[in-house]
Amino acid sequence: MNCRECLDHLYEFLDREVTPELERDIRSHLEDCPPCDEQFDFEAVYLKFLRARCRTQGAPAELKHRVLRELFGE
Amino acid sequence: MATPTPSPTPPPVPVDEKRESFEREALVHLDVLYRVALRLTGNAADADDLVQETMLKAYRAWDQYEKGTNAKGWLLTILRHAFINEYRRRVRHPENVDLDTIEPFAVFGEIQDEDPQGAFFDRIVDDEVLRAIDQLPEAFRETLVLSDVEGMSYQEVAKVLEIPVGTVKSRLFRARHMLQGKLYDYAVSMGYIKGTPA
Repeated sequence: MNCRECLDHLYEFLDREVTPELERDIRSHLEDCPPCDEQFDFEAVYLKFLRARCRTQGAPAELKHRVLRELFGE
Repeated sequence: MATPTPSPTPPPVPVDEKRESFEREALVHLDVLYRVALRLTGNAADADDLVQETMLKAYRAWDQYEKGTNAKGWLLTILRHAFINEYRRRVRHPENVDLDTIEPFAVFGEIQDEDPQGAFFDRIVDDEVLRAIDQLPEAFRETLVLSDVEGMSYQEVAKVLEIPVGTVKSRLFRARHMLQGKLYDYAVSMGYIKGTPA
């Protein structure tokens, strides 16, 4: 596997959407290729950051009450 | 006097049972629905209404939902259809964006010497990230929210958005890089990193 092929699968790999064979090939390329490894790490940090920043918000309590009232009349 | 024979037809599903299964399988996804609604409509009042309407539609159609399958995906499909049919025209200006002409900006190439570990991300607060997401074209925004915020698989996202898995992948790739470019510009403008604005 060359760098181009490895980077083509970057997000699929981080999203755990690759086959076990492809995952093995990517891991073995990353072990031998520090620049690709660094880029994978950077993107992994980014995705983790996105999830952490965007999931703090939940439905307001008032909305939940409103839904319950509308559905079950309470 | 003859004792009454039991009715051969089973009694209808008690209301309590319907309510109980709806609460267990559907209402637990209220936070997810709200977050997605907020990113689709762009404001809290419409997000409230959209979620409320989604829950009503879902409760009416609850008998059609196969219990124990993917309630989150089923609810998000209802929510998205309601958004497209009733809200999109009103709350968002029509977008004339040719998604294929958008060339995302590769942030890593710009920053690998200065901050290869992406430490600058830590300094960007929630509101700023959400504001940047809201600036993405709708097709990118909904794909990114379902995948990155709600953690759905490519297959699940494809099903909710009614597009092929390959399209999910390419939209996600471009949406993530486009958002990264916006966050990078923001970080540069705030002085978190030196960089060069895209």
